[in-house]
Parts: sequence; structure tokens; C-alpha cells
Amino acid sequence: MTAHDWFTEHSAEFAARTLDPADEATFQAHLERCEECRREVERIERELAWLPLGAPPVTPRPGLRRRIAEYALGTPAPRWTRWAVPIGAAAGLLLAAAGWYAGDRRAASLAGEVALSRHRLAAIEDTLSVMRQAARVLQARIDMDGKQGGLVIFADAKTHRWNVVMHGLPPAPNGRYQFWFIYADGMVRGAEVQGDPSRPVMFTTEMPSRAGKVMGAALTLEPMDAKDGPPRGKQLAHLML
Amino acid sequence: MRGDRSKGPSAGRGTPGEGRGPSLSMSAREEGLRNRIAARDEQALVELVDLATPWLLGVAHAMLHDVDEAEEVVMEAFRTIWISVTPATAESRGLLPYLLRVTRHRAIDRLRSRQRHRRHLALLTPHEIERSTVAPVEPNEAAQPGWQLHAQVHAALKDLSDEQRAAVQLAYFEGLTQSEIANTLGIPLGTVKTRLRLAFGHLRLALAHVKDWVL
Repeated sequence: MTAHDWFTEHSAEFAARTLDPADEATFQAHLERCEECRREVERIERELAWLPLGAPPVTPRPGLRRRIAEYALGTPAPRWTRWAVPIGAAAGLLLAAAGWYAGDRRAASLAGEVALSRHRLAAIEDTLSVMRQAARVLQARIDMDGKQGGLVIFADAKTHRWNVVMHGLPPAPNGRYQFWFIYADGMVRGAEVQGDPSRPVMFTTEMPSRAGKVMGAALTLEPMDAKDGPPRGKQLAHLML
Repeated sequence: MRGDRSKGPSAGRGTPGEGRGPSLSMSAREEGLRNRIAARDEQALVELVDLATPWLLGVAHAMLHDVDEAEEVVMEAFRTIWISVTPATAESRGLLPYLLRVTRHRAIDRLRSRQRHRRHLALLTPHEIERSTVAPVEPNEAAQPGWQLHAQVHAALKDLSDEQRAAVQLAYFEGLTQSEIANTLGIPLGTVKTRLRLAFGHLRLALAHVKDWVL
């Protein structure tokens, strides 16, 4: 058996493309220089030309014939579709920009909310720490326009801060609530407090920066114009340490 | 297809299609299509698409088992035809055999480049191979151009032994290489080669009388 016999024997398999890829490549290279084998392969291809029709036909899906013709002919898309890509790209860019802008604003808003929440959380943690470490708790009952409320002070001896809770009091009628620190030589103005009967009002306060020992606290109902000086209004609560 | 009109559609053994065989009018249509496509007549390509697409889809789908891929292969085949058929080449090849060959080769190229095919092979059982062996002509296909050729090919395949037909089914209609067939069937490679060689020899003889038919 000569080397050429191998090609002669396998010409049908080559024509039918059933050879292994390596053998197929070898055969293909041989065809480049063998006219006899080329003619033989062409003859076999012609003899087996209709063999693929052994596969049953398949009904094309709707629209396929048109798509095939357009693809084969390289038919340009309808006029309106020529602008589809640039229009789509422009729309995409606009949407992206709008999305970025909205996202940026939303991000800024969220950042603000996060900062505020952190601030609130820090305040709550601080308040809780004062309450947890409070060495003394003072409380007084307050009657105001037929409503019953109260004032509670959580005094932290380590940090010298107080958590003050005012509850059950309505908005101050014709004035404002004023918190006071009591010293031996008089009273020092603390925070103004807004009354809210629906929920307790809480604030944390440090001791005033002045000499002397804080002996207690008081809550008064001050006139609107009383911005400084000693108490002028009605005393609602008086608590001594 | 090759312009060999002297033999005529009923030349050779057998009488294809008893009145529905590839008629002279169809031959004229085929020749007309070929010449018109060579002359860049787009309407001729549209007519060829109408005529050939079901068969090309059948070939591609049998091999690829994927409708979308089969359609892509057929589209590529028609584009190849449109580009390559020129007045210089119009007489040298039949349109539909050329389309069938291009379609099949494109499908094989795709098969050999994808791993999914390997998984499909691994799942094939002898029963499935036998069941998927080239389908007989259904009555509702009889009105379709080319059904006579389909019937002739089916008859030629039916004449093969079961072993040879299974090898041809896997090799020609599923796109397996000889080594893949040996692995799938669990038989020596030499046995596969022998079966295919005998089968193709038989088919060449059995189909020789239709080689110059046209649709």
C-alpha cells in the first residue's frame, strides 16, 4: 500500500467531512498538490450532493425568509432604523446623565441623613451613658393647667453632666419654660425648654462654667421678655441634691 | 443543477416521483435562478430562499439541535451563495447542492468548536441513534419541492445495514468525527472506518442516478 492509497481510500470520508480533524488537514494539504484526488473528491461530492436531503425539512419560523434575504443581500435597514443606534446611544447617555444626577443628589441626601442619624445616635448613646452612670436621680411632680407632668434629673457625678427629662407639660402659656441651676448665692440660667404633652422632652446639660457648687435645679415659667437676670416667673419645680 | 440538461430529470435508474419528479419546468426554473443570481437579481435570491430554506434548515437543525444556530448557519450559506455565484462560476456548480454543502460544512465547523456537542454525544444512547436515523417522508411533505429527492435518499439509506446506517447517521447527519463515533458506539476506530467506507460506497452507487437532478 502506497501513501497515495491512503488518500484514495479516504476520499469519500473526506468529501463527507467525517475524518478526524488531523486527518482532514492532512488530506486537505494533499489536495493542494494532487489533481487526481481533487477530481475524485469532486466526483464523490457530486454523487453525494443530495445526501443531505436525508434530513427532514424544517418549516421556517415566521419572518425568517425575509431575514435571510436581507442578511444575504446585505440590505440596509429601513431609514428610521439607521438612526436607531445613534438615537439609542444618545438616549442612553441622557438617561445615564440623569441617573447620575439623580443618583448624585440622592447620594448627597443619603449622606446628610446618615450624618444626622450618626449625630442622633451619638446623642442617644451619650444620654444613655449619662443615665447608666447616674449616681442620683431627682424628680418632681408638676401640675400645669389641670395637667400633671414632672421633671426628672439624672445626675452623673463622674462627668458632671445631667440628663434632664420634662414630661407631661403643655406648651408654655404666654411664656417659656426655663431650667435653672441653684447655687448657694443664687440661680444661674440653664436651657430653655419647649413643652410637648405628647412626649417627654429630654436634654443633656453640663454644669455652668462658674465657681461654686451646684446645689440643685429649678424649672420656672418665664415671661417671653425675660432673657436674663434672676427668675421672674412662676416656679414649677425645685429640686435639691 | 450542473446544466447537464441532456440527461434530463428521468435519466438513470428509477422513476422519481411519478409525475411529481423534478420536471423540465423546474429545471428551467433552477437554471433561470442560477443565471439571475449570477446577474445580481435580488428577486432570484428571494425565490431561492423560498425554495431551499426548509431543506437547509433541516440539515442544520439535525446537526446543531438549536433553532437559532441553525438559522444563522442558513443565513451564512445564502450570503456565501450570493457573494460567490458570479457569471464566471454560474455553470460550474448546482445551486442547491452547493447550498447544502455550505450549510453542512458551516454546521460542522460550529459543532467542532463547541463543548455542548460533546455533552450531547455523551447522552446519546443506541436507541436514540436508531430513532433519530433519517426520517421517512411524511405525507404532508409531498407537496414540497425536493420531496422526491428526499424519498430517494431515504430509500438509499434504508438499504444500508443497521450498523452502517447508524455510522452514517452519526457521521453525516450529526457531524461526528470517526473517533467520536467510535467512542459513542464503543467500537474500534477501524470498525467505524470500515462501516463508513462501505456505506458511502453503497450510497454513491445508490444515488448516482440522481446526482444531476434539479429541484
